[in-house]
Amino acid sequence: MPDLTAMGGLNTSLLIGLQALEVSQGALNVTSNNIANSNTPGYTREVPTISENPETLSGGIVTGGGVSLNGIQSVRDELLNLQIQQQTSAQSSADTQSSALAEIQTNFSTTGNDIASTFSAFSSSLAQLSASPSSAAAQESVISSGQNLAESFNTAANSLTTEQSAMNTQVTQTVAQINSLTQQIAQLNGQVSQLTAAGQDGGTVEDQRDQLVQQLSQLTGISVTQSSDGEVITTGNGTPLVMGSQSYSLQTTTGSDGMQHVLDSNGTDITSTLQGGQLGGSIQIRDQVIPGYLSQLNTLASQFASAFNAAQAKGFDSNGKAGQNFFSVPASAASAAAGIAVSITDPSQIAISSNGTAGSNGNVANLSAALTNALPSGQTPSQAYASLVFQVGNDTSNASTESTAIGQNLTQLTNQQSSVSGVSIDEETTNLIRYQTAYEAAARIVSTIQQLGTVTLDMGSSQSY
Amino acid sequence: MRVNPNMVPDILADMQQSQAAVNTALQEVATGKRVTVPSDDPAASANMVQNTIETANVDQYTQNVSTMLSMVQTADSSLGSVVTSLTQAVSLGTEGANGTINGSNLQAIATQVQGILQSVVAQANTSYQGTYLFGGTETTTAPYTASSSSSSGYAYNGNDAVNSVAVGDDMNVQVNLPGSQIFSNSSGDVLGSLSSLVTALQSGNATTIGNVTTAVSAALSNVSEQRVFYGNAESQLNSQETYLQQETVNLTSQQTSLVDIDEAQAATDLSQAETANNAAEAAAAKVLPDTLLNYLVPTQ
Repeated sequence: MPDLTAMGGLNTSLLIGLQALEVSQGALNVTSNNIANSNTPGYTREVPTISENPETLSGGIVTGGGVSLNGIQSVRDELLNLQIQQQTSAQSSADTQSSALAEIQTNFSTTGNDIASTFSAFSSSLAQLSASPSSAAAQESVISSGQNLAESFNTAANSLTTEQSAMNTQVTQTVAQINSLTQQIAQLNGQVSQLTAAGQDGGTVEDQRDQLVQQLSQLTGISVTQSSDGEVITTGNGTPLVMGSQSYSLQTTTGSDGMQHVLDSNGTDITSTLQGGQLGGSIQIRDQVIPGYLSQLNTLASQFASAFNAAQAKGFDSNGKAGQNFFSVPASAASAAAGIAVSITDPSQIAISSNGTAGSNGNVANLSAALTNALPSGQTPSQAYASLVFQVGNDTSNASTESTAIGQNLTQLTNQQSSVSGVSIDEETTNLIRYQTAYEAAARIVSTIQQLGTVTLDMGSSQSY
Repeated sequence: MRVNPNMVPDILADMQQSQAAVNTALQEVATGKRVTVPSDDPAASANMVQNTIETANVDQYTQNVSTMLSMVQTADSSLGSVVTSLTQAVSLGTEGANGTINGSNLQAIATQVQGILQSVVAQANTSYQGTYLFGGTETTTAPYTASSSSSSGYAYNGNDAVNSVAVGDDMNVQVNLPGSQIFSNSSGDVLGSLSSLVTALQSGNATTIGNVTTAVSAALSNVSEQRVFYGNAESQLNSQETYLQQETVNLTSQQTSLVDIDEAQAATDLSQAETANNAAEAAAAKVLPDTLLNYLVPTQ
């Protein structure tokens, strides 16, 4: 601040007026920028930092030194941002699981082609056979309803595998998105720390970075800490993703189970440690939920097939031969449900008779009992299936309840964040009026000083009054 | 405390929520079902698995009962005719054994008994919907055919096996008796004794006629005895039918309580959801356009 006191009071006033004009202009800039970005996602409102200048002492009198605009500050709450990131990860994981389960559960609803419906049709076809053991129609209906039952097992197993491979594809895609985001974040991180080092507010760059970190938290659970180099971002388990301006890429590779495994930058398999976000949700469904359902379905299919085949073996078919296997299941237990099929083709091969005569229905009771007796698992086939239905329904309902609950939590946090950082049109309009008035008043000071200056200069002229 | 200036996300979330409630309520009213996918009510869905299977089975058991009832009734009425025929044969035999009847009358009685024998053979070969009723589990060949090698003149082509039909989850009702037990039992051989009676009447020996008539009478009492089985089966099937009807009602009402809506409740839910949704929309329309700018008079 040059010492202008020597030039007299009017110049000082002029300078103060000029400063006031500049500050009002600066504040108006901030206000108009806030209004312009009021609907920009991730925008953090800015406020001008205004302070008074040091006073001057002249001739024993202390005079005010005017005003200056020190800077423009973004109003943000880092703690809230962290909480929002965490909740976003949790919700995104629950959403991913909920939508995958919603697709899965349609195979377990009563549609007419589900296992419960085909199982009941098979059961009643056997009851019909008991009453009409020699009826060709009754025999044919046992074969066809048996085939329908096998097919509904196939369909349920295949749809689970399809969903599993969809989740697998999503893992690869999500990892690619994560890598692209961490690179951008690292770059912005560098810019932010340069600005901070220069004592400036990160402002726009920080907004952009926060926005990307927010997106990253949708993809996977992350933990964010501040260091001297800027933000440090790791996965929930501590695998580094971004450190300052350096990003670390994740990789995917096909594991021994045929699924995509996620490796950190050193090549360590971190698949099972990943939680939260789309990635965590997909991995949970792919590696835990679906294999669980599949294994129950496979156990049921293979145990039921052997129980029914054992009942077949107790009787004789219409040709008087010992009953052969009704169902065939693949040797591998892991594909029992996907591969179960009716292995006999001719209705005469159903072991209806207990004594070899064609009119006997003695073995039908054994066949029916295979449907209602407990399997080696300890449950009857219908109980085993019912508990699977319960589990699928319960998992689906829990995932969607969780998503709703987190969603409400997230809305509250976003409200809080918005109450700190959001642009209020009312507030900006009020500020606009304030700064406009201040600008007008400052302009009046300048014009007044100008008039006074003219009067002073005219004092020495020839013109007389 | 600064107030959140941006109400849009909040209002949107509220409206989506109330819209979702309307959709759910509407879907329930439209389908009449509270549970369409397992997540709507996992426990009810699991119970429905058993209910679906039970319902289909009970339907089939009910059909089995009605088929079996007709079959058992057919068998019972056949045996009824046999009893009548045998009673008639016994009284004809008694008449023949009297000793006062002349030869040509005895021949006439013999012809009559021969007719009775034919009709009893026909009853023993009764079939129901193509199934022979008295051949054990040999249901496709006629149980009794004329045979010169057999002492009674008739060979039994059936076996001693029986069939039991499923009419309930743990309920199998035996629905037949093999012919060997009814018509050619050791305590009474229906066809054999009738054949012998014909022969005795033709030969005219009153003592022989008397002895053979006693044998026919024994066969008659055996048939009457065996016939009780069909009466029992019939009453067993009748009571099972009543049970199954009750079971159908139970299963239907269980299904209703598991997955169906309470219509009054659903209609109320729908109208409540609509009201809430309208209120949310009306509030949004009122609040959203308001800013200070609406109230500032533009400067000249």
